[in-house]
Amino acid sequence: MSTSTVAQRVREFESKLPDKYSDNVAFLLVAPGLFFFSAFMFIPMGYLIMMSFTDAELSTVFQDAPGLWGSLFGTANFVGLENYTTLLADPLFWNSIGVTWLFVLTSVTLKVLLGLTVAVVLTHSLVRGKRFMRALVIIPLGLPAIFSITVWRNVFSSARFGLANQALTSLGFDQVAWLSNRWLAFLSYNITEMWLAYPFMVIITVSALQNVSDELHDAAKVDGAGFLARFWHVTLPSIKRPVMFAAILTAAASFQQFLIPFIFNRGGPARSNELIILFGYREAFSGRAYGEGAAIMLTAIFFIAIFMVVAVTKGKLAEGAHET
Amino acid sequence: MNMLKAIVAQIRDDTLEVLRAPARLYRGSRYQLRQYRKGKIGLGTLVAPLFATAGALAMVSLLLLPMYWILITALSGGEGSLVSAGGFQLLPDGFNPFLIFQGDWWMGMDLSAFVWVIGDVVIPSLRISLGPLGMDIVTSELVLFEAANYGVENPSNFTLYAWNSFTVAVPTVLLGMAVVVPAAYAFSRREFIMQKKILYGYILFTQVGGGLGIAVLIALYALFVEFGLTNDKLALAAYYAALAVPFNTWLLKTFMDSIPASYEEAAIIDGAPPWRIAYEIILPLSKAGMAAIFIFVFLAGWTEFIVAQTVLQPENYTLPVGLFAIVGEYSTPWARFSAFALTFAAPIMFIYLFAQRYIEQGLSFGGMEG
Repeated sequence: MSTSTVAQRVREFESKLPDKYSDNVAFLLVAPGLFFFSAFMFIPMGYLIMMSFTDAELSTVFQDAPGLWGSLFGTANFVGLENYTTLLADPLFWNSIGVTWLFVLTSVTLKVLLGLTVAVVLTHSLVRGKRFMRALVIIPLGLPAIFSITVWRNVFSSARFGLANQALTSLGFDQVAWLSNRWLAFLSYNITEMWLAYPFMVIITVSALQNVSDELHDAAKVDGAGFLARFWHVTLPSIKRPVMFAAILTAAASFQQFLIPFIFNRGGPARSNELIILFGYREAFSGRAYGEGAAIMLTAIFFIAIFMVVAVTKGKLAEGAHET
Repeated sequence: MNMLKAIVAQIRDDTLEVLRAPARLYRGSRYQLRQYRKGKIGLGTLVAPLFATAGALAMVSLLLLPMYWILITALSGGEGSLVSAGGFQLLPDGFNPFLIFQGDWWMGMDLSAFVWVIGDVVIPSLRISLGPLGMDIVTSELVLFEAANYGVENPSNFTLYAWNSFTVAVPTVLLGMAVVVPAAYAFSRREFIMQKKILYGYILFTQVGGGLGIAVLIALYALFVEFGLTNDKLALAAYYAALAVPFNTWLLKTFMDSIPASYEEAAIIDGAPPWRIAYEIILPLSKAGMAAIFIFVFLAGWTEFIVAQTVLQPENYTLPVGLFAIVGEYSTPWARFSAFALTFAAPIMFIYLFAQRYIEQGLSFGGMEG
């Protein structure tokens, strides 16, 4: 990227000018956006933190009460760390944490595998019409998430018309109630998440594959290496870094998945598949316990922050920022 | 206008490219066949591309099958509900391409589900009051399209939802652009205090922060209730615009970075003040980037679901919330759900895939180029 040179040249040039552009005036151009964003991100965040130390519920938090505390939290009381201690003793919470991490593990594996397969096939020299097929295969990227997920919810419908059940019957199996069995529902989440994310993986992997040097491949061919050996020893090492990086980003997306379980069966059956964000959402809005919901969401934010740190240190995510 | 021309030219080139592909393929295969006849390549080399391509095509079809399935169901019309509809077919019910010769442009497909989605298209009667003259002009109601003529009663609320989405997305885009464009210029062309730190924060949020929005939803909802902002489309738009700031500022900044500095140097030598350089050089040259972020911010308001579902009441439902409401009703005929979903998603898909061209570089930014 030629950013640095552009900025440098402007800087050099400006320093020669008699009336130099005043330095920090430009901050005023950034300030409105920054303020706007902070107002809608950090004020609710601060409120969320305070709320997690109260026993706020639907019936108490919107009551009128005197004082600053009253205007913020109504008649709710300060309870210290009680929400967190009840949380740690709640088997549903631990179930949700476990299911969420399992989902991250399985769905990321599936996403990377499918992305790699599609990318390798659609860059292979024997395949004709590669570019056309690549354009087709990334179509799901342009679809609104809510659309794709409602469609997939109907694919896994337990009724006769559900595409998954039709495939099963045509193969001679019995129909299955996908969303009422815990692990089948979990499987359906995984397949859907895989479908939502594979175009991103394909784009990254294809551009990485195109950077793999042909000389290395030719040299390996001369040495008599087969397709698999070349893939393992030549291709994979050269695309490892970008794919790893994409996997970290997509793991963060899996961790925060809310819409799939919400639309499929509200994290059911019997709350067994509630991913962590959905768990907090349901505690707050169905259970009416805002304080506890806030505590759960903060736990989730803590994990998201870990993802951020990993993404930054491993992927040098913000390299673009340092260039300026 | 120039931009529109460029878009049309690009689409034309793409179409030509696709149309020429079969000819190229034919020439290539003929060459291979000749080589085989001459005995220069073996049978294996001749048929390998055939199998490889067939395999790749099968994979692509399998991946896109759910989309195709939705399309077929929508075109099959019919009243079968979500529970009773029949099996998967390769072609829509009653589809017969030869009907086109008998003047049936739709080749026997049933479009009633789409009629149900669109409903009546009516320009309502207007009363224009000319006060000083003491007279009113009343235009009569103009019915362009009536669903009942096609045997569809009780059309969907699609137009109402679309209007709601529109009234949310327009303020979102206006607010968002107003804060994003100046900030992107400042990040790209100026130096100021905390510049790197702020940009760093924005990039972080862009990549890993999607779920933070839902995580703070509880607090956001409580604050909206405290300030009496629930069911307020404008407050919702402000929220969307605020969350769209980091990604779009970063995107437009990288776009502006690619504008050569020499233009500005020339302008500075000619004595142009900074604001004039921004207004007359940077902004016109970043039109394409601004178009892309315009689309992204607009779509953010048009497609967001969770927050809209939490704060809006039924009369203000946006399209995604309306779509979700249909899934909940098991009495909705399956074809109608498909048609509703497609009418919602198809235009977005085309717009998005086009805007995608502008961020293809963006996706492989920073540390990703291994």
